[in-house]
Amino acid sequence: MKIVIIGASAAGISAAKTIKVSEPETEVVIISKEDSVHSRCMLHKFLGHQRDAKGISFIADDFFETAGITWLNNTTVISLDPDKKTVTTHDNQTISYDKLLIATGAAYFIPPIPGLRESKNVYGFRDLNDAKLLDRECQTAKNAVVIGAGLVGMDAAVALLERGLNVTVIEMTKDVMSLQLDHQAARAYQQLFEEAGAEFILEDKVVSVDVNDVGRGTTIHLASGKAVPADVIVIAAGVRPAFNFTQGSGIKTNHAILVGDDLKTNLKDIYAAGDVTGIAGIWPNAMKQGRVAAINMLGEKLLYEDRYALKNTVNFYGLTTLSLGNINPEPEENCEILIREDRHNYQKVVLKNGIVLGVIMQGDIGGTGFWQYLIKNKIDISGKNKDVFSLSFADFYDLDQQTGEYKYAV
Amino acid sequence: MKRIIIDREKCDGCLNCNIACISAHEEGSNFYTVNLQSPDAETRNFIKFDVGKGYLPIFCRHCDEPECVLSCMSGALEKDPVSGHVQYDENKCAACYMCVMNCPFGVLKPDKKNRTKVIKCDFCDDKPDGPSCVKACPKQAIVVKEVNL
Ligand SMILES: Cc1cc2nc3c(=O)[nH]c(=O)nc-3n(C[C@H](O)[C@H](O)[C@H](O)COP(=O)(O)OP(=O)(O)OC[C@H]3O[C@@H](n4cnc5c(N)ncnc54)[C@H](O)[C@@H]3O)c2cc1C
Ligand code: SF4
Ligand code: SF4
Repeated sequence: MKIVIIGASAAGISAAKTIKVSEPETEVVIISKEDSVHSRCMLHKFLGHQRDAKGISFIADDFFETAGITWLNNTTVISLDPDKKTVTTHDNQTISYDKLLIATGAAYFIPPIPGLRESKNVYGFRDLNDAKLLDRECQTAKNAVVIGAGLVGMDAAVALLERGLNVTVIEMTKDVMSLQLDHQAARAYQQLFEEAGAEFILEDKVVSVDVNDVGRGTTIHLASGKAVPADVIVIAAGVRPAFNFTQGSGIKTNHAILVGDDLKTNLKDIYAAGDVTGIAGIWPNAMKQGRVAAINMLGEKLLYEDRYALKNTVNFYGLTTLSLGNINPEPEENCEILIREDRHNYQKVVLKNGIVLGVIMQGDIGGTGFWQYLIKNKIDISGKNKDVFSLSFADFYDLDQQTGEYKYAV
Repeated sequence: MKRIIIDREKCDGCLNCNIACISAHEEGSNFYTVNLQSPDAETRNFIKFDVGKGYLPIFCRHCDEPECVLSCMSGALEKDPVSGHVQYDENKCAACYMCVMNCPFGVLKPDKKNRTKVIKCDFCDDKPDGPSCVKACPKQAIVVKEVNL
């Protein structure tokens, strides 16, 4: 059997690994438009000059040879023919498959703001190529503007600060990382970034960018009337699942490629995994989906049930935060909100009828892995009769006598 | 693979396993000379107390399907195909702490000094005489056994 995987990142590589471990004879071809395999989550370490390109790889140097996988890099898939069971590449190769995995991830998006798309010094922060282009700009630029203070924008900002640029971050909402944090937790990070030299303009919007005669954006105009000078601009205003090449193939999409719990699409022998499915935009889930898709492609049945996506960890300047679930409930949701604070910690638990809906643990996050289990499985903790902030896995402790593994007593 | 098997009823909470673990990761120290006040003094195993159940040892299971490995974005966490143990490479780690979030048993933690690495059981690098905690337990509440994967 020949399995073709489009995408050599979290989902694609984890699928390929899974296939080669369980059925080494299966032929695996991975196609990627990039020429390296790297972890996007470490791009800031590359741009900040803490690591080189090799240092942000997440696989061994000889991964493809050792696993016996064919890797077509620098190769972009431009179309898909589900009847002939082939894909076509930008350089006119036609590649046939018995089973196909689409693991093309997501791509950044430049909002249609006058001057922004036209400016030559506007960059996304999604792959190594973006980081390399930014790196080049950093050699001469003084003023950097980051549009969007989500996790990706903050990653870019931390690296640009590391490189000694004046960094201004512009954000529409009233807080940084507003999907992951509440006001207080966000303020703590904002302060650390400000101490490192960053400037934040919150609750404001870019309305236009002045472009000079060589096509570079020079001044960013905001809705408030403010004007910010820019030598280099990073756009971090969100990403979109990347599936352009499937146009006309009949694949079902809705801003993402739609898959069932077996990660199969509506087309025969075609599966999808990772950011392209729109299920979750984080690394662990992309890896897991790659694995589950691979197992299903090999003919076994395994369902992907982890559609729970609201989870993240943040670590900037040594301040760590765990964020899970609904952390900013609306008043009409009638949730109970518990808060505990001391000099080093800010902790918040959102409860409804004994079920934990969300948590923020800022400061010490050691041993907090059990919270995700409680939230995902809607475990009722009201019977615990205990301060919620002192809960740990010990409160659900059970052991499998056969294997010695833990299980949850709930 | 070898796993530390827990008999929680035997545990009486002496915490020798904690001290042995800290000492095993403090170069040149032993059970008596280990500096427990050092900022690097971190135990990789935990003993919790529950009024109903008594002492509850929490040790990395080197899981058959380790959630921590499945969540690692740098390749720092890998399950060794031969030993079955989940090993951690500090040099690869980018301190994103997705693994801390994903270990369902709350075993993992960031280092308390700098938050630049993860504190994780390394099975004492598979030393032939076994993990230090097991040797230090006077009650045999933790013992190494071969389990089938
Ligand atoms: C700056 C940044 C920081 C992040 N930090 C974190 C973090 O700390 N923790 C976390 O959990 N997540 C983080 N994420 C999110 C995480 O990186 C993604 O969830 C993850 O990379 C998704 O993996 P994927 O395999 O689905 O797709 P992607 O990583 O997007 O990879 C897509 C692959 O498809 C290839 N490709 C795309 N289109 C084509 C085509 N037409 N032809 C051929 N090949 C193609 C690409 O070359 C690439 O190999 C971060 C993301 C960014 C951008
Ligand atoms: S750290 Fe947690 S998930 Fe990873 S192997 Fe140990 S017990 Fe399992
Ligand atoms: S903190 Fe290190 S070991 Fe843990 S998931 Fe992130 S990179 Fe991997």
